[in-house]
Amino acid sequence: MLAYIAQKFPELTNISPLDQGGFKYVLSVSHPTDGENVLKIIDPSSAPERIDREILASQVVQSPRVPRLLETGTVDLPFGECVWIREQKISGTSLRTHLSLNGPLAPSGTLQLTQQALEALADAEKVKIVHRDVKPENIMFDQEGNFWLLDFGIARHLAMPALTQTGAAVQCTPGYAPPEQFQNLRDEIDARSDLFALGVTIYEAATGKHPFRDGATSPPEIFHRTVIQAVPPLVLPLQQSESFRDLIGALVGKRRDLRPRTVAEALEWVNEIIAAESLGEH
Amino acid sequence: MELYLQFGYGMMEHSRVLVQDWGGGNVILSPRDLSPVQLANLAGDLQALPEGEVLLDPQFYLPHSNHSKLARHAYWPNGYSTGTFYSGPPLRTLISELISINNTLGTRAFILPGLYATDFTEQWLSTQRAFLEESRRQGAERPLYQTIAISSDVCRNNENIGRLIGFAESYPADGYYIVCEHPREAYLVTDSTWMSNLLDLAAGLKLLGTHVIIGYANQQTLIAALAKVDAIASGTWMNVRAFAPGKFDDNSDEEIRAPTTWYYCAPGLSEYKIPTLDTALRVGVLNDLSCPAPVLPEVGRLFSGVQPSTLGLSQPTSFRHYLDHLRRQTTGMVQNTFDDTVEAYETMLDNVENLVTNLRAHRIRGNPRDFSEAVAANREALAALYATRGGILRRRWGNL
Repeated sequence: MLAYIAQKFPELTNISPLDQGGFKYVLSVSHPTDGENVLKIIDPSSAPERIDREILASQVVQSPRVPRLLETGTVDLPFGECVWIREQKISGTSLRTHLSLNGPLAPSGTLQLTQQALEALADAEKVKIVHRDVKPENIMFDQEGNFWLLDFGIARHLAMPALTQTGAAVQCTPGYAPPEQFQNLRDEIDARSDLFALGVTIYEAATGKHPFRDGATSPPEIFHRTVIQAVPPLVLPLQQSESFRDLIGALVGKRRDLRPRTVAEALEWVNEIIAAESLGEH
Repeated sequence: MELYLQFGYGMMEHSRVLVQDWGGGNVILSPRDLSPVQLANLAGDLQALPEGEVLLDPQFYLPHSNHSKLARHAYWPNGYSTGTFYSGPPLRTLISELISINNTLGTRAFILPGLYATDFTEQWLSTQRAFLEESRRQGAERPLYQTIAISSDVCRNNENIGRLIGFAESYPADGYYIVCEHPREAYLVTDSTWMSNLLDLAAGLKLLGTHVIIGYANQQTLIAALAKVDAIASGTWMNVRAFAPGKFDDNSDEEIRAPTTWYYCAPGLSEYKIPTLDTALRVGVLNDLSCPAPVLPEVGRLFSGVQPSTLGLSQPTSFRHYLDHLRRQTTGMVQNTFDDTVEAYETMLDNVENLVTNLRAHRIRGNPRDFSEAVAANREALAALYATRGGILRRRWGNL
């Protein structure tokens, strides 16, 4: 397979597999001018509208915290015509892997995760993109200690019609998706849905505990807990501990109107916290 | 938080006197209780007073009932049919007439008509949108306050609150005038779900940066300070202190029948009949029922040692006493921070509970206007608000 791909992409070298899951083959490649990149090859059996959405999302979200889309096209492979995407490669590990290997983030790392993930989501919000799958697997922790938001595979452009009808089965990750998403109340899904998922991700990254998944035995149980169980207050040893607790508490509001109205507002909030922390250090 | 006067039966003189005594104030005028001429005259009188302002509640809650006292006003439609009203000239006429009346009265803002919702339906939302959009289209030249008139059952459903706030985000008005039926027609509400949801709704709308008024309010509504609501509106009789939709149904009983005079014990958020004050004198706890100075001379005499019922406290005086002290409580409720406001409110509830419990231990009860049963509902509403919106309210308090 790798040889076949190498044949189809003669300008690429050092092709090696990174990941395979769902409808995607993810490869590490070297490009003569762009350097090390990621090449994603998308199985033709996946819905073409979804591929278009992912490409669109990657094209319109211009963020220093989201890998840049460099090139896209189609290629004939033995299993059919596939869409491919070549994008900036982030060297590091997923937040999930990092947490598994190193345990919870330090308070400063948690603040940085919050700020940088909100920066990425704020840039998505500006172009009306909702990621809809924020979770540790989709956040990269690079070698410089920065966080990146990846995989807009189930993103939704709010100005475009939904691909699923209200009440239909919906793609989401149990434990991170907010109630309005797994209940597929599509009129209620907006950037605040990502805030909920990020709030859960931050809580998990800071404590090593998942408020809804730990001890649950099935997705329905996780969904049920997401609806009825509060995320415990996240109290970290920070000078702005109360304000940070309030921020995370607001992100995980069960209804979207209980969360900050916009990602930009949440970002402003965490920036204030970080600024106050920095002042306190001096 | 301000106290507006919710105009009701027999409130003309009260409105003039209180707005004058207070050095200003806002009266929500009631077309049901005022003829077109009276509306204009009273509005003129009030605006002639320093800082006197008026709003007009169009009371379009139950247009099907065609209440005779509402139908005498020019804005009231000659015929109301749900099917055609919102898609044609009748809606345009209603709004243009209301704008005209608001212009004549010189209102500070335009309270939009709003149907009373006993079910939360898309159709009801579409009428809300129609009122708002038509008013915007015609250019009311003053802030637009959307009426949210809902039944107790609609208010008790948590999902409805989220949807109401979501609707307000999608179709923003400059302000909201919330009138919400009390459960089981209770004056003081013991249903914590209802109270929590009313507070949640008010907070959600306030956090949208709008002006929020809770109409038909009483001392229990002081809790709205926790949401930094701009104003609560209250009046004399119970039917302007608790929203009673039947008042706007022509088939309902007319006017006020209860001649009882109640004394408002502000520190206990409770009201007592005058004969109960006699009993309090006998058992030696009358002084516990007194209000902080200054009080009206007639009210002060109740605590002079003379048997209270022999002093003939008039109903108008008792009303003014109620509204005067409620206003003081209202204006003093909001503190510099959310946490300070919560603390002040909890301290007030603690004091209320201690006072009322002590009075009940002496068999002094204000049923059904005794706050002891309502304390729990308000504590739970506070707890829910604190848990769900506390962080955002704490952060944004100074800018709300």
